Amino acid sequence: MRRFAKEAEEESADIDLTPMLDVVFIMLIFFIVVASFIKEAGIEVSRPDNNQSDPSDAQSILVRIRADDQIWMENRRVDARAVRANIQRLLAADPEQAVSVKVDKGATANTVIDVADAAREAGAGTVNWASGERE
Amino acid sequence: MSVRQPKKAAEDEAGKIDLTPMLDVVFIMLIFFIVTSSFVKEPGVELFKPQATTTEACDRGTIIFAVDGRGDIYYNKNKVPLERTVRLVEVAKKEAPQANLVIQVDRDTPAYVVEDLYDAVRPMLTTPPCISTDEEA
Repeated sequence: MRRFAKEAEEESADIDLTPMLDVVFIMLIFFIVVASFIKEAGIEVSRPDNNQSDPSDAQSILVRIRADDQIWMENRRVDARAVRANIQRLLAADPEQAVSVKVDKGATANTVIDVADAAREAGAGTVNWASGERE
Repeated sequence: MSVRQPKKAAEDEAGKIDLTPMLDVVFIMLIFFIVTSSFVKEPGVELFKPQATTTEACDRGTIIFAVDGRGDIYYNKNKVPLERTVRLVEVAKKEAPQANLVIQVDRDTPAYVVEDLYDAVRPMLTTPPCISTDEEA
């Protein structure tokens, strides 16, 4: 008889977890679905402030991208595949130099990224994206 | 009657599964997903991204803008004018102060639009934005 009473007591102390489990599962599924795990990959390119001095001063390697996507370095036209070697050669003189890319209006982002990628591959610390001719 | 009762109770006990360990696991998963979900707003445009061999992961790059081949700026599946981008970044930064900017570009994207976007949102940024690229195969 005493055992009987104890059993009933245990039963009432036991909380039914099923509704909470339902809620928790629904929340879990919601967050799994919402979590999109976007992992963007790319390259960082900084941009000099317009107020600051012209980046084309002697301190950095200058690459110019013209409106028709031609790449110019040191007053001559350079093939996109040769940019890396050229930057590497110039960096050898002073490895601390930054690379400035001067982009004219009309150039495409692809060319800028190509040059920035080549500069990073060559080992340049920072790549600056400067505006060139705008008209 | 009183003889059969304990036997029935023991049978019930064996048939009931202990849910506690499962509940522990479910709770840990729940907390993990709550913490990791950052509610990234995708620009929702298909782009043919430039390739770069030095592609690396954009750290905390969760504010994503896209500039398509025509030079239109997209954010959260909407086309937005340049003047509104500052406001959008401001709001996104308030929600997630650690978030960094990612600009998705197409191969045909005019570079000056990216420059303008960059200049517009620069005051809001602590680190330079990441230009989204594809790993070169």
